[in-house]
Amino acid sequence: MKKILSIFSIMLVTCGALQAQSNFTVAYSMGFASGDLSDFISQASFRGATMEFRKMVQPNIGVGLTFGWNVFYEELSRESYTAGSSTLTGKQFRYSNHFPMLLGGNYYFSPGEQFNPFVGLGVGTIYTRRNTDMNLYTVEQEAWNFALQPEVGFLYTLTDGAAIYLSGRFNQGFKAGNELESDQSYFTLNVGFSFVNQ
Amino acid sequence: MAVIPVVLLSCYPAGPEYVEDLDVTYTTFNKNFDFQTRQTYAMPNKIVVDVEIEDGDTTWIYMKDVFATPILAAIDDNMESKGWEKVDIGDEPDVLVTPAGLSSTTYFYSYWYDWWYGGWYGGWGWYYPPYYTISSYTTGSMIITMADPNVEDDSPINQSQTAWIAVGNGLFSGAYDISRVTDAIDEAFEQSPYLKLN
Repeated sequence: MKKILSIFSIMLVTCGALQAQSNFTVAYSMGFASGDLSDFISQASFRGATMEFRKMVQPNIGVGLTFGWNVFYEELSRESYTAGSSTLTGKQFRYSNHFPMLLGGNYYFSPGEQFNPFVGLGVGTIYTRRNTDMNLYTVEQEAWNFALQPEVGFLYTLTDGAAIYLSGRFNQGFKAGNELESDQSYFTLNVGFSFVNQ
Repeated sequence: MAVIPVVLLSCYPAGPEYVEDLDVTYTTFNKNFDFQTRQTYAMPNKIVVDVEIEDGDTTWIYMKDVFATPILAAIDDNMESKGWEKVDIGDEPDVLVTPAGLSSTTYFYSYWYDWWYGGWYGGWGWYYPPYYTISSYTTGSMIITMADPNVEDDSPINQSQTAWIAVGNGLFSGAYDISRVTDAIDEAFEQSPYLKLN
């Protein structure tokens, strides 16, 4: 897992170097599970980050890449699980890591103004890795979900080069592979800064 | 920007906090075994933890009394509360309850070394010595089995099939906290309502 985070970190720094071309956003990301994911982990995630690079092809249209990471975690109380004539009692530690990687486009309603709302849509994949830990063992399930990511938000310009970024996204990962049997989807609330090169 | 990766790595969910969090209790029973037609049990007053075989001589290694006594008492308490009567091994008990303790140590190590290329004369080679890091963990299991010694004649291999197995497994902490074992025994009997005699 640390390896994946390291790769993600390198991507983050690399994208930072690209910011001179257009606009680069980095944000803290809170996750709220839905569907199958919320059945697995009901608690909200306060561990996550996202970054977004947008090249402005029109004054009000930006296209580029979006990356993110959200990890959901829940420690279950000591419970018994029975199958046939066997019963196992213990604590479960559940983790669900999500790495969205998408091509996206944003439409900005008020380019050049201090308050600039936007809508966006991303298309790509979410790599999902679910771990259920019990005793010294883990059950690991992975999926590369085809993903759609609609987004609404706004930029609030502070100076010529920087703006506050706030957005809500719905990360819809469609069922993929045979390890996870359902869609993996969650909502994120993202707060951060957008560095604009004009 | 470099701060963000550090933050990402440091905010990964911590998982189990206490060694007890990894303790699990497992039970399974033979569905064809009628516990209700049995009433008495016998149990040895020592717990085997190892067997040494040297020159054909078998030596049993027993758990120290200071640990074995509370474990045996916990088994007796639970058996009695389920309605079983303890008898001596010579009094033709309906079932035998045999506790055993096992430990298992897993070693893992990693090493790295450097190589050199010595040019025209040398060729390829390794720098010695390689460096090793070694670590290990030890798990302990408390295993209790129950079998009817009177049905061995029914078996083609002249042995009684186990009617009930309970396993408590956890990581050795070095604290020798015997209550983790007695808790597992209590949990094993809670998991097994079919042991309750009417």
